[in-house]
Order: sequence, then structure tokens, then C-alpha cells
Amino acid sequence: MKADRSTKSGRIAELAEVPARWLLGLVFIWMGLSKALQPVEFLKSVRQYDVVHGTLLLNSIAAALPWFEIICGGLMVAGIAVRGSALVLAGLLVPFTWMVLHRALALHSNVPFCAIQFDCGCGSGEVFVCRKLLENAILILVSIGLVCGRGRKCCVRYELV
Amino acid sequence: MNDHHNHPTPRNRGAAIRKVLIEAVLVAAAGAVLAFAANRISPHGLALSRNYFPGATNASVAAPILSPLEGLKEKGLQWVDAKGALQRFNDPRFKQQRVVFIDARDEDQYREGHIPGSYELDAYHPERNLAAILPVCQAAEEIVVYCNGGDCEDSEFAAVTFRDAGIPNLKLFVYAGGMAEWKTNGLPVETGEQNSGTMRAVGK
Repeated sequence: MKADRSTKSGRIAELAEVPARWLLGLVFIWMGLSKALQPVEFLKSVRQYDVVHGTLLLNSIAAALPWFEIICGGLMVAGIAVRGSALVLAGLLVPFTWMVLHRALALHSNVPFCAIQFDCGCGSGEVFVCRKLLENAILILVSIGLVCGRGRKCCVRYELV
Repeated sequence: MNDHHNHPTPRNRGAAIRKVLIEAVLVAAAGAVLAFAANRISPHGLALSRNYFPGATNASVAAPILSPLEGLKEKGLQWVDAKGALQRFNDPRFKQQRVVFIDARDEDQYREGHIPGSYELDAYHPERNLAAILPVCQAAEEIVVYCNGGDCEDSEFAAVTFRDAGIPNLKLFVYAGGMAEWKTNGLPVETGEQNSGTMRAVGK
């Protein structure tokens, strides 16, 4: 998986990491901002997943997660702690995607699966579940690719430790 | 390019994985601290210990247990239908503020269109105008609280906030159909501030 910088394909893979990083970073910044500007709407969405109970925990997630996404997205765009940040983002995406799938399956009774539409709390309003799952799968793959890669191009500080 | 990068040994690989994990922990820890700080200084920030859903029981939309009306009953709240809301709107007591309408949605939605003469009380930020509205509600004989209708719970939370603030339950009515039903019925909608006089035509 690691790009061998001495070969042509390795150099291409390294170069491809730059737009991948920016894409992932910008998606998270945009989604984080849309939630951070309307935290109550996000709080309602988190509550609707019914996986977190207790006022403090629920509020903490809704309060911190959007900013956390913006920070991690910013790190990806700037190229700081790239692999660690990508791992954190994958760690956010995987359980979230599972929760979206779980909720969609719960709503899936009379409606065809891909016709299910709801506000997943992603910051983009109501979405079709299949599209959301596909988007998330791509973002997870990009994150994992960045965890395994080592493209240092356009990075402020690729490694933190 | 050195050999170390081209042919990683299992030991090097283990060290690299450890490094990534440590980096992830550092990013997560620093990110969490900064995220809470950002929420704290943000004008939109949430208060961590506040219950934004007063009187709420089951939150799950994926597996709804209660219909909106059952939810109201469970919270001990009375409700009115479209006819009841319109009766109160046309009641002479409405002009005298003995019947009061409260819009429990956020400011943007309120400004976009509300039942004419309604007071605004954002159910999630009651601190913004509860103090100003409370005396009006204390003096009123009936208070009709509404939000968008459907599965919107904002009106219920606002009603519970009023009840917690000392307004007798008997005075409180939740208009379950809400703004969506009001507009569908072609009833007048006021835009902007309360009593702005600016009406928006709504097609039936």
C-alpha cells in the first residue's frame, strides 16, 4: 500500500495523496461548519440516533464533534499529522456509517432501501441513504489510503511524532 | 531513497504503526480540547449541562413508539387541532392578549412566517425572550404553542418550559398541526417581527 517514491507509480501515488487529503479535509471542514453554525439542529439529530443517553454526554457530542471535524479537516488540508488525523477521521466515519446504516434499516419497511431519505445529522440536510453510504465508503477508503500512504507533498508537518 | 523506506521490516512496520497510533491519540486529545474551547467561545455554542429537551422521554425516530398526540398526552399536555387553533385566533380575547400564541421555532423560521401576533420563544434558547413573554403568559387565560407540526417537538419542549416556569398546565395548549397545517389551510401568515403587519399570501 505504501507509495515507493523511487518508482513512477510511487510518485503518482504520492501526488494523488495531495488532492485526496484536500478533498477529505474540505469535506470535513464544510460538514463541521454547517453543524457548528446550527448546533441545536445537530443536537436533535444526535438525539434521534438514540445511542447516547444523558444530557451531558449528548450535549458534549453535539457541541464538540462539529469543531473536532473542522480541526481534523484543517489538519488534513494543511498537511499536519496526516496519518494520525486520517486515522482519527476513519475512526469517526466507520461508526457513523454503521449508525446511518442501522437507522436506515430500522426505517426500511415499506420503502425500498435506496428511497429512504432522512437527515443523518451530517450537516447536509436530508439525504438518500444509499448516496450517503456510498459517499462515506469513499471517504473511509480515502482515509485508510492516507493512513497507509506517505505522500509528503504540500504538507506543513507530515508527522507529529 | 534509503533501503529502510523501500523494504520495511516487521519491526519497522510495528514502530510505524505505533507512531501513527500515538499521533492519532495526540490529534484526538488536542482536537477534543480545542473543540470544547471553540464551542465555549462560539456565539452558537451549546451549554453542556442544560437539558434542551425538557420532558422528553423516547428520542428514537428510527423506532417511534409514540405518535405526536400520544407524546403530548404522556407529557401531560393538552392539544388543539386546526379548528381549535383558528377558534382561538378569531376569539376576541386574542386581541386583548387573553389568548396568546407562541411560536416555538427559531428566529429565522419565525421571521420567515408565523401566525399573526404570535410571540417568539425559541424552544432551545428560552433565555433569549422567556423573561419578556412570561408576564404576558401569566396574564393570559389560554396559551397556544406551536412549531412546524408533524414530528416537530419544539412546541412540546416550549410548553414544558412554560410549565416549569410556573404557568398552569390548564392554560397551555399545543397546536399539534403547527405552522405546516396553518399554511395548508390558507390562513394568514405574518412575516418579520411580531405585529409587523406584513402578511404573506399562502395558497390553499
